[in-house]
Amino acid sequence: MTNMPDIKNRYYKSYNEINLHLPGLDLEWMKRLRDDAITQFHQDGFPDKSVEEWNVNSFKGLTDTFYSTQQENSYETDVPSIDKKDTDCLVRVIFNNGKIINIEHDELPTGIQVNTLNFFIKNNPDFLKEKIKPADEYSESRLSNIIDSRPQSIVALNAAFHEDGAIIHIDKNIEVPGYIELLHIGDYSDKTMKHIRSVIFIDKGSKCEVLENIQSHKNNNMIFTSNVTDIHLSDGASLSYNRFISGNSKNIHINNVHAQLDKNSTFISNSLINAKGQVRNEVRTNLLGEHCISNINVLMMGAKKSLHETLIKVKHATKNTKSKQVIRTILDESSRGSFQGKIRVEEGADGTLAEMSGKSLLLSNDARVNAKPELEILADDVKCSHGVTVGTLSKEQLFYLQSRGIPEHEARKLLINSFSNTIINNISNVLLKKAKNFILEDFNEND
Amino acid sequence: MTIALEIKDLHVEVNDKKILKGLSLNIEHGEMAAIMGPNGAGKSTLASVLAGKDGYNILSGSVKYLGKNLLDMPTDERAAAGVFLAFQYPVEIPGVATSTFVRTALNAQRRHRGEDELDAIEFLKLARAKAKELEMSEDFFKREVNVGFSGGEKKRAEIFQMSMLSPILAILDETDSGLDIDALKIVAEGVNKLRNDKLCGIVITHYQRLLEYLKPDTIHILADGKIVKTGDKSLALVLEEKGYQGIIEAA
Repeated sequence: MTNMPDIKNRYYKSYNEINLHLPGLDLEWMKRLRDDAITQFHQDGFPDKSVEEWNVNSFKGLTDTFYSTQQENSYETDVPSIDKKDTDCLVRVIFNNGKIINIEHDELPTGIQVNTLNFFIKNNPDFLKEKIKPADEYSESRLSNIIDSRPQSIVALNAAFHEDGAIIHIDKNIEVPGYIELLHIGDYSDKTMKHIRSVIFIDKGSKCEVLENIQSHKNNNMIFTSNVTDIHLSDGASLSYNRFISGNSKNIHINNVHAQLDKNSTFISNSLINAKGQVRNEVRTNLLGEHCISNINVLMMGAKKSLHETLIKVKHATKNTKSKQVIRTILDESSRGSFQGKIRVEEGADGTLAEMSGKSLLLSNDARVNAKPELEILADDVKCSHGVTVGTLSKEQLFYLQSRGIPEHEARKLLINSFSNTIINNISNVLLKKAKNFILEDFNEND
Repeated sequence: MTIALEIKDLHVEVNDKKILKGLSLNIEHGEMAAIMGPNGAGKSTLASVLAGKDGYNILSGSVKYLGKNLLDMPTDERAAAGVFLAFQYPVEIPGVATSTFVRTALNAQRRHRGEDELDAIEFLKLARAKAKELEMSEDFFKREVNVGFSGGEKKRAEIFQMSMLSPILAILDETDSGLDIDALKIVAEGVNKLRNDKLCGIVITHYQRLLEYLKPDTIHILADGKIVKTGDKSLALVLEEKGYQGIIEAA
């Protein structure tokens, strides 16, 4: 993936042309944040294969196509019909083409705020100032102590161009009744991009469940979207963060989550990715307080010519913290997948418990998967494990099922489901049905 | 008694090696036939060929089951027509609950036969009754298929599946291997409970021990790809005394 020579300049120029319309420019810190971010992107460009985190596959159409922020369609017109909000869903925020069209909720208990980035920019900018950090703070620090901003250049592009997002703010000691859904739908114009910036802050002792639901677009234009979400869990807080990501064959979606975990907090991240196009899922958790827990589960299901990538970085920054990563990849036809997972245990972070398991199932001779599990351990007293396997459907298992009267296509489905159940079983009851429908909806085995 | 299974002059090779060399065998409804023979004689090959496993090249001969050409039927259709193979090494299927597996199988077979599927409640009722007959705890319904099962549990789970699927032809491939004497008794009693006028069985074993409990009607000695001797259960005692070599030489 080499950058087209003037691609960086075109985004830079485009930023200077449109930046008057971007939200928050009247805030000095926000303007500086955006300006610095575009400068950083202008320097780095899109990450190429010389960047460790991006050295497996190339995203087609990312570095040789310019995506404009200008939509031909006016936002409010032709809002698609959407299913009714689930009864278990407390609040649903609907973004159409990246623009808020509705926040649906019944009476909200006090202490629960769910609104848009634009609303917070107008009403509570100081809250955002602490939570949305300058782009360079997302850089990777290498073992050689070099700070490398290149892997995060799409986060920088997002910081420069983001137009809206969802903000969830839960006060102390509240158990949010029902989940919060952030639903993204759209019918973007060809060669356009949209950047969404969201913040989730759960105060001490509170508990919350969120679903970020990124649906396929109605058309199949070339579209580049990025969602960046910053999560902060205070002492004893707990968040279950679920993402269902689909997309059409010409869509590129890059999704970044950065979570910061204070003392005794619990972060559960379940991602189901079932897209026909190219998706990259990045989750970085920073375990800052003692006895915090990070559980990250990912299911990637690819078919045709799709590309799914997951990058997970878990940083154990203090004593007695626990993390688990479970990644399952199922690839059919000529799809591609990759998983990179890194557990880093900082100096002095004794008592760390960390485990990682990545398994891939290839359903076709043309499917390819890459897996790179890594451990960087700078502490002495830790327990870390990692394991990666790649395989195909077992002939022995298929024969066993068939010998009991189960037809081959049904036997294959049963085995594929059993493989994905490792991830699906982590999903809470209120989202389970939706999750099962989601993986069935788009993933058709050739039968 | 009518003939359920008729194997005629069957020649089979695996990986270019001839294993079955003209095997003929008839089994009647209600008959329990034991097949014994030295290692490498082709006992497990016969079981696999009857169940429809891939990788076996049928060179010549025929297998008629209930009047139909068994070798033409895909594995799942054979099962729906009543063929059941109890595996020597039952396969583990992580992530699939035993009850889900058996229900999927039973309903697939019923669908194939044009019968109504059982709903979850009807299935559970049947499964409970069958488990009780086999003195099995219901806990294993929820457990993943054969995962973490002891040798005895695996074999008992096979017999449970057999009882749920009520086959017409049951092939028990070395069901006694890896079982201690108590587990062996339980498995054999389980099979005995399932015996009826219609069910015929092929019991493949190395040892006479299982036959003490199963009481076969006929015993067939399989050596070098052929049935070399057929007799009643007294043949097993002769075998115990003379060994395979003695019988093969005499034949």
